[in-house]
Amino acid sequence: MNLFKAELRRLARRRLSMVFGIIAAAGLLVLAGVFWFTSSKGPTAAELADAQAEADRMNEENYEYDECVEDEAYFDTEEYGYLEDEPYYADMTHEELCADWFGVWTAEDLIYTYTFDFAEESPLILIGAAVITGLIMMMLGSSAIGAEWSSGGLANLLLWHPNRMKVWGAKLGAASAVCAGAVIAVLLLAFGLLYVTAAARGEVGTLNAAWWDENLPKLARAGLLSVAMTVLGASLAMLGRHTAISGGIIAGYLIVGDMLVRFAGMAMQMPFSERLSLYTWVTAWIDGKIELQDWSDMYSEYPDVMVITSSEAGLLLGGIVLAFAALATWAFQRRDVS
Amino acid sequence: MPPIIEISGLRKTYSRAFRQPHNALDGLDLEVAAGQVHGFLGPNGSGKTTTLRALLGLIRVDGGTMRIFGEEVPRRLPEVVGRIGAVVESPQFFKHFSGRLTLQLLAESAGVSKARVEEVLEQVGLRDAAKASVKGYSLGMRQRLAVAQALLKQPQLLILDEPANGLDPAGIHHMRELLQWLAHSQGVTVVVSSHLLSEVQQLCDSMTIVSRGRRIVDGKVADIIAGHGDSSLTVRFPDVASLPEAAEALAAASGSPGAAAVSAAVDRDRLVVRGAPEAAWVTRTLADAGIYLSELRMETKNLESVFLELTGTAPVPGQTVQIGESVVVPQGPPVAVSDGVVSIEVESEGAER
Repeated sequence: MNLFKAELRRLARRRLSMVFGIIAAAGLLVLAGVFWFTSSKGPTAAELADAQAEADRMNEENYEYDECVEDEAYFDTEEYGYLEDEPYYADMTHEELCADWFGVWTAEDLIYTYTFDFAEESPLILIGAAVITGLIMMMLGSSAIGAEWSSGGLANLLLWHPNRMKVWGAKLGAASAVCAGAVIAVLLLAFGLLYVTAAARGEVGTLNAAWWDENLPKLARAGLLSVAMTVLGASLAMLGRHTAISGGIIAGYLIVGDMLVRFAGMAMQMPFSERLSLYTWVTAWIDGKIELQDWSDMYSEYPDVMVITSSEAGLLLGGIVLAFAALATWAFQRRDVS
Repeated sequence: MPPIIEISGLRKTYSRAFRQPHNALDGLDLEVAAGQVHGFLGPNGSGKTTTLRALLGLIRVDGGTMRIFGEEVPRRLPEVVGRIGAVVESPQFFKHFSGRLTLQLLAESAGVSKARVEEVLEQVGLRDAAKASVKGYSLGMRQRLAVAQALLKQPQLLILDEPANGLDPAGIHHMRELLQWLAHSQGVTVVVSSHLLSEVQQLCDSMTIVSRGRRIVDGKVADIIAGHGDSSLTVRFPDVASLPEAAEALAAASGSPGAAAVSAAVDRDRLVVRGAPEAAWVTRTLADAGIYLSELRMETKNLESVFLELTGTAPVPGQTVQIGESVVVPQGPPVAVSDGVVSIEVESEGAER
């Protein structure tokens, strides 16, 4: 327990942790600031009146529209005869029909207003914040292990704690705990900032039980994904004994490897080739499920469908992380520390 | 009292792609008695650091046994590690942590009190620099921090790899006094690996010299020097032309009672006399032959000359000694020095150079 606490403190006291913490908090503040300044509860009466006046002026110059409005029999010609049979136009008044055909400016057309709707928009932002926190923690976790290898700090620590499994367990546990703490902190901060922004400058919307039932599991799965990413980063750094190796493998796969795998799937005309991409499984994990469609049968009116559930995605992603963690554990236990 | 460290037949081989495997340790034996400062010497690449790493569980070995405090290591290392303080090779730390935080983190991980951190900072002379980041530390200050780290646990066995590295003369003096105080007043057994032979000579009570992963000699420092140091006399004359005549005179006197095996060899402008019973015998013999000397000096061997001779790494004019070009110790019973008697049998590959 002492070792675990010391590892927690070591992680917290690292300069990189402070830098990442400041960047994350600043990023959330900037995001909330963007919503604060772009969102509004709607135009004021004066703005609406001005816009309406401008719309009226522009409509006066729309001669075709005026002509149509003034002529009740404008559409009673053979040219427009088919309109009577179109359900879309069935319930329109003559004026509305003219507006639809020749266009008419309204006050709303001339005022751009955006209203931030917390209930509708925040889940995606919160999930994104959790995943980005996971990426940051993955870097921090791999850097903590990699820097200890390259500085000789790990060899030093083993002179105090020769039980390598205990050391690795403490390091992995501390990195995971810090990640979980960081994700919770980021989510709480993001939730609070966005809620306040919505309350002041937009709409909070309905945060009822159904909203929580739908979004809480997604956020929990995004948080778990972040912890898994941290474990993966630390494991790769333990295997490579260097931060850059871990970062290089992850960035290389996410940027190039995933694209190559997709191209290979398409080149082989593999049905549902998107399932080769890790992003597909990550999306399935967070969203609960993903539906892939295969349109390769050109004679069929409907596509073949493949559904990947969050359980299946969890098994695959968890398996990958566990495999690397097991490999790192084995390597740390067996290899010489020089 | 049983030895604190017992190593027997230790082997470590590094396999290398497309090359012969390298035997870093080739049946090394080592014993360190309690309460001593023990020097661990050897040329570069002789296996000193590998031995310390193996002893501390950092690397696996391919054969042999190791015991610390009577416990087999590395299997039982977790049981005894609390009594061992160690620094292996150049100590490195997180640059942005202060010296105090570096020690506090280690202390916290092992349940050592914070007060002990302050004690060791004081002991190694880093009290005033404790707040500063390690990145601002000189090599000597880092070395002190490493020793402080090893002292944190109040160890009964202290293992230090090159503790004088980077220290200024005052620092070396301070370190020597500290280690001797720990060994002789506190009963701590200290093992020091070092290349500073004069330092080892002043600091250590006993030592082991290794070459190519095997022990060449071990015993008390004074005994090794005395046992191996066949002292000689250097004689100079006002006229260099007297040298051959003087050599003949001494050779002729050799065999007389008390001077059974005197040898005299001309070495440039001097005569080197070995086996003389005493200096007075030389002056008397030469005076009897009508030769008068201008200088007579006793040449006593120091640890450096003994080390160079034993390891076969003595410099040869015009040649450099390559890593690994030290003596090969034949397999056999370990060589030990006791009561001033040294018995060393080596075949020197270095001598072929």
